[in-house]
Amino acid sequence: MSDSNATTPTLRPPTAKVPLFSLGRVWTIAASTVTQLVRMKTFYFLLAFALVVVAVGNFNIPTTPAKELSMIKKVSFGTMDLFAWLFAIVSTALLIPRDLEDRTLYTILSKPVRRIEYLVGKLGGVLFVVGVSLLAMYAICAVMIYAREINFVGAEFEAMKADSSYTQEEIAEQLTLIQKQGLRAELGIAVLASFLKASVVAAVTIFLSTFASSSLFTIIVSVLLFLIGHAHTMATNFWLHQSDSNLFVQMLVKVIKILIPNYQLFSFSEGVVQGEAINYAVVSQMGMLTGGYLIVFLLLSLLVFVDKEF
Amino acid sequence: MKTILQKCPRLVLVIAGLALFGFIREPIEDRLRVRLVEEKLLLPPPGQTAMEQMSQSALMGTLGGLRSLVAVFLTLEAYEHFSNKDWEQLSQTYAVITNLEPNDEEHWVTWIWHIGINATANMEIDDRLPEFERKRRFFAYALEAVDIAERGIKQNPESATIRMQLAEVYREKLKDNCATSRVYGDTIGLPDALPFVERFHGYFMARCEGKEQEAYDYLSGLYRESERNHLPTLIVEIKKLEKFLNIPIPQRIPDADPDKRPQKSNRKKPAPNELPGGLIIP
Amino acid sequence: MSELAVEVKNLTKVFATGLSKDYVVAVDNLSFEVKAGEVYGLIGPNGSGKSTTMKVVLGLMAASKGSAKVFGLDSGDIRARNEIGFLPENPYFYKHLSGAETLKFYGKLCGIKGSELKDRIAELLKLVDLEDAANRRLGGYSKGMLQRIGLAQTLIQNPRLVILDEPTAGVDPVGSRQIRDLIMKLRDDGYTVFLCSHLLEQVQEVCDRVGIIFKGRMRREGSLDELIAIEDQTAMTLEGASPELMEKINALVAEDGKAKILEQGHPRTTLERLFINIAGKRKENAENE
Repeated sequence: MSDSNATTPTLRPPTAKVPLFSLGRVWTIAASTVTQLVRMKTFYFLLAFALVVVAVGNFNIPTTPAKELSMIKKVSFGTMDLFAWLFAIVSTALLIPRDLEDRTLYTILSKPVRRIEYLVGKLGGVLFVVGVSLLAMYAICAVMIYAREINFVGAEFEAMKADSSYTQEEIAEQLTLIQKQGLRAELGIAVLASFLKASVVAAVTIFLSTFASSSLFTIIVSVLLFLIGHAHTMATNFWLHQSDSNLFVQMLVKVIKILIPNYQLFSFSEGVVQGEAINYAVVSQMGMLTGGYLIVFLLLSLLVFVDKEF
Repeated sequence: MKTILQKCPRLVLVIAGLALFGFIREPIEDRLRVRLVEEKLLLPPPGQTAMEQMSQSALMGTLGGLRSLVAVFLTLEAYEHFSNKDWEQLSQTYAVITNLEPNDEEHWVTWIWHIGINATANMEIDDRLPEFERKRRFFAYALEAVDIAERGIKQNPESATIRMQLAEVYREKLKDNCATSRVYGDTIGLPDALPFVERFHGYFMARCEGKEQEAYDYLSGLYRESERNHLPTLIVEIKKLEKFLNIPIPQRIPDADPDKRPQKSNRKKPAPNELPGGLIIP
Repeated sequence: MSELAVEVKNLTKVFATGLSKDYVVAVDNLSFEVKAGEVYGLIGPNGSGKSTTMKVVLGLMAASKGSAKVFGLDSGDIRARNEIGFLPENPYFYKHLSGAETLKFYGKLCGIKGSELKDRIAELLKLVDLEDAANRRLGGYSKGMLQRIGLAQTLIQNPRLVILDEPTAGVDPVGSRQIRDLIMKLRDDGYTVFLCSHLLEQVQEVCDRVGIIFKGRMRREGSLDELIAIEDQTAMTLEGASPELMEKINALVAEDGKAKILEQGHPRTTLERLFINIAGKRKENAENE
């Protein structure tokens, strides 16, 4: 036994007061999540994306320049969307179960950290990385689209000019056709659409990971929900509006519609990429809907996580 | 036991929360979906036929919200069919593509062009088939192209490019001047319609039996409307009609001034895929 | 009356096993107190309920029945956790962080920032002798180093109570000794230490009071002196005693009639002490050379 028993040391004073909820703690967890994802070398997938874009940028189909630009955009933005939601699922599914398996969660939650702060921080970190990745992918796309656009416009201009029969007006009309499919500021809204979708996907995945037993389970279920979430508009149209569907099927479709997020709604980047006019009021409503999803799924996650024993 | 009791209400609460949120968001999402579809930002779900015709990977891609991506890859596949002159497969692939992206006029235009122009042209030269069969298929493809165009127009009522492609099929393949004129006429006033469609409407009406007087009135109207319309073809067409309809000399328009030959007189013969107005079609 | 750092009252924790209706009682009506400033050891074999008790005190688990308080606050209260520094058995931290980054992360979670945090990190790295490895990622740390960075992490916010779960498990004797010395230092610095261990000797060396838990129940509790003293036996260690003297002592004992000698021979050191001596001497020689 210790000899220091002989002297009575001065007891330590109480620690400083802690706020019941702290954005600082959320920020710390989010920043650590970002560091974790960065050091897991997750950004390497951008290389794969760049390869896809370069390959697509060199499509060799005898078609009009406008059509080729449109195809480059569709493939690039489609791949971007795919990478964003896939990244959101995998990274979110890896984080919480991994903290639990590694027992890092013990040390974090034994500090003055609320469980909601931990969940919000983790989600925030994932969304930050998804956002930065989307911007990086957009930059890669923008360079490719712009390069091809310049190339097409130049070639078309030269060809039309060489054929002296075209008026300035006709040349301008033709070039506008190409430029309409080129790099335009509106494409930023397509990136935003992918981000909104990835955010909802991440929130749902975090909810699943609070009661899942492993990362693999979370990933599989999240992907399944993602597919169902895209199909239920189709299923609703097909089964709910057909009088000959049996009651059980109709009930099932209704339950799915109520319980599973409607991911198809978040695919409006496709219309933007196609060059359709953007209604910003609708886009902002989509933003609000995303906010609703994030809040509700975080609260539901908390409902499960708050009682979770480690 | 208490643990179980503690967990049960939690599970019920979670499901209740999900359901409550579902009921709240359902009408909002339905409304938003309608608006997004109206704005053409969101595509309506693909039809049952398209789903059945899709390969597994294409179906997964579609379900995964990657319809544009799937459509592009199917376009590449269709091009492969075009290279192999496999018109049936090509048509089936485009049926899926246009189901995936019904609002993309380019898909419709390309589909009509492949079937109405390329497949019919191929039937004119494909010596593997007996002549009777070639002729039969020629008309079958041309009529299929008309059918495709009508479906495309139904999906994109304001599309000038689909109509112009349809007019080309009527004009070049079916040699139906009345239908050609009608389609050009339908194109007038549409947002993307090129100015020449107004004149083409009249030119082909002039060649439509029984519509000569109407064509004369229409083309003369155009002539009187603006000096910019005093183009050689227009004048030639009016002159032909004046002669055909025996229009009294004083009422006839003056002959074209040879000095006023338009700037485009030195223009090269347009490429086969070039429409008047310089629009290059795929 | 001295302040209570930990107060566990009638704590019961029951676990359901799978979907069946079977239950395991991990902790059964357990009560004990840890006074502020003391080193309290909860000892017992593996699976006796020590870690479960500790997790309830930390708020990582809810009690099925009873309560656990830390400095008068419910164990689930965030303010209670700010008073606690916890070192889990085999601490795992983010392997992608360096030692200094780990301390920074936990410091920030406790609301410390700026120069205060910087100074605290430097101070703790010095305390656990990891200044040289401060910028190395934890993925490259040895078990002992991980345990020491873990200990530094527990102290980052200057908590009043330090909870250590099997602090020397899997650590070599030298590392184990360093950790024990650190615990003594913590006590001297006014920290309250609550540790769980199944290594009795280790507990014996550092604890003021001990509770012995077995199958979820408290079997014995008290100060170490009380627990380990054998009232009817007396030990005597002689140096340079001649055989004649030993004979005289034996004769005197025989004369008494009631007393008898139970054991006689050369006292032995423990293997652990021997290892530490050898290791210590080797280290000294190496430094001299």
